[in-house]
Amino acid sequence: MRIAWFISFLIIGFNAHGQGTSYKKRVLETTEIDALFSYYGQEGSNAAVTGGEGSEELTDVTSSLIVRLPMNEDDILTLDIGISAYSSASSSNVNPLDGNPRDRVSPYIASSGASQSDQLVHINPSYQHSSDDRNSIWNAKAYVSSEYDYTSVGFGGGYTQLFHEKNTEVSANANVYFDRWNPQYPIELRSGFFDDRISGPGVYTPNFTELDNVNRNSYSVSLGFSQILSKRLQGSIFLDAVLQNGLLSTPFQRVYFADANDFFIEDFQLADDIERLPDSRFKLPIGGRLNYFLNDTFVIRSYYRFYSDTWGIQAHTASVELPIKLSNSFTVYPTYRFYSQTAADYFNEKETALSIQNFYTSDYDLSAFQAHQYGLGLRYKDIFTNAKLLSFGLKTVDFRFSNYARSDGLDSFIFTLGTTFVR
Amino acid sequence: MQKALELLNLKLIHKMKKILIVVLLTFSATSCVVVKEYDKVYLNDDEMVLSAKSMEQFETNFQIYREAAAGANGGKSGGGCGCN
Repeated sequence: MRIAWFISFLIIGFNAHGQGTSYKKRVLETTEIDALFSYYGQEGSNAAVTGGEGSEELTDVTSSLIVRLPMNEDDILTLDIGISAYSSASSSNVNPLDGNPRDRVSPYIASSGASQSDQLVHINPSYQHSSDDRNSIWNAKAYVSSEYDYTSVGFGGGYTQLFHEKNTEVSANANVYFDRWNPQYPIELRSGFFDDRISGPGVYTPNFTELDNVNRNSYSVSLGFSQILSKRLQGSIFLDAVLQNGLLSTPFQRVYFADANDFFIEDFQLADDIERLPDSRFKLPIGGRLNYFLNDTFVIRSYYRFYSDTWGIQAHTASVELPIKLSNSFTVYPTYRFYSQTAADYFNEKETALSIQNFYTSDYDLSAFQAHQYGLGLRYKDIFTNAKLLSFGLKTVDFRFSNYARSDGLDSFIFTLGTTFVR
Repeated sequence: MQKALELLNLKLIHKMKKILIVVLLTFSATSCVVVKEYDKVYLNDDEMVLSAKSMEQFETNFQIYREAAAGANGGKSGGGCGCN
């Protein structure tokens, strides 16, 4: 409720501020509000929390509010606020022992303890200024997010220049993030752990040391180039260079060594260590878009990206979207996306890593796989904004569903509902 | 900075340069075409926008978690989440 009052105050206040005498066309004519909602679900059997074997069942509900406020003829303030709540079988198994005592302890059964669910809250304000001739644009942005074991603070800025009667656009952006883990280790690796149900050869004494650096810093530079190629065709290319250093592994993801004895509590194997990954990573993705306005009914949107990093991963992403305008108000758009990656140098399946290695992980998100994603969306657009909510007119309603299937057996789906209101 | 430079994989950079040059040449070969503002009715269509739409941000988010690759699509390319 307080947030709603705060946003209303901002909208009224900034609208009043922007109502001066003007002879320029505004960059943004009216206040716009995007209200977005999504429901995500996944299942699989390669949970990284349990060393590459175990339930990956997860659901996530996210809602987000994006408010774009015209501050004057040239400037736009955008506020992006969101909350994401998830429930995860694998993260519940950070401590598999605090569940229902009648259930067997197993990597395939979710525990009901505190680590089963969490919320991520984020706020992302940004400010944009356009020159009088609209050929140059400055922007600045900030980012803050928080969840139980991870906080992030980031900021950045960028500049865009348009040439050739706005046929060519060149942009440069830079961002930095200062993130911090609050490490949650698997329960059996925490000091003072004891359970009289442990079975195995000898005594369970893992060679585990806590992480000494819990910070993760990320620095990125993005370059963009867009070009109108004809009256119906335009394309763009983007190049990002990202350097990350600090704690790049996840502190609660278990690893089981091939050269260590196995210990269990019922069906649950106790960790030999947590994943260990290098403290730096350089990522280099390059992507391009090509959009073609075929006719008044069909538009073709395409995207391709090549990615490579210093952990030995190379990936290709290709997607195509085909918006079909059924009428002035309704557009249906089928989508398809293909993704393929090679494995990180440090990926090992369960019980294949050796304790003498410096780095190891059994996170299947870093393994080699391919993924296919199919989707369908329906968009309703009312340029006259006849439907009203308070003093805001409904401009668009967008519904989208996608199904994602990975070659390692992970399946997921996502529903997204988006509405745009204008004042 | 020295550490960052050490990380640069020269072979990779070389490969990326080649791709970039080919794409830039392709674009610049056609960039002599100038479409006037009054001829941009198709290009200004909502579906022709050259970036990911705000509706796609949640899909991009889960892909950042479930895949190793990120970036070059207008979303986050590193940092801000405990993801890959």
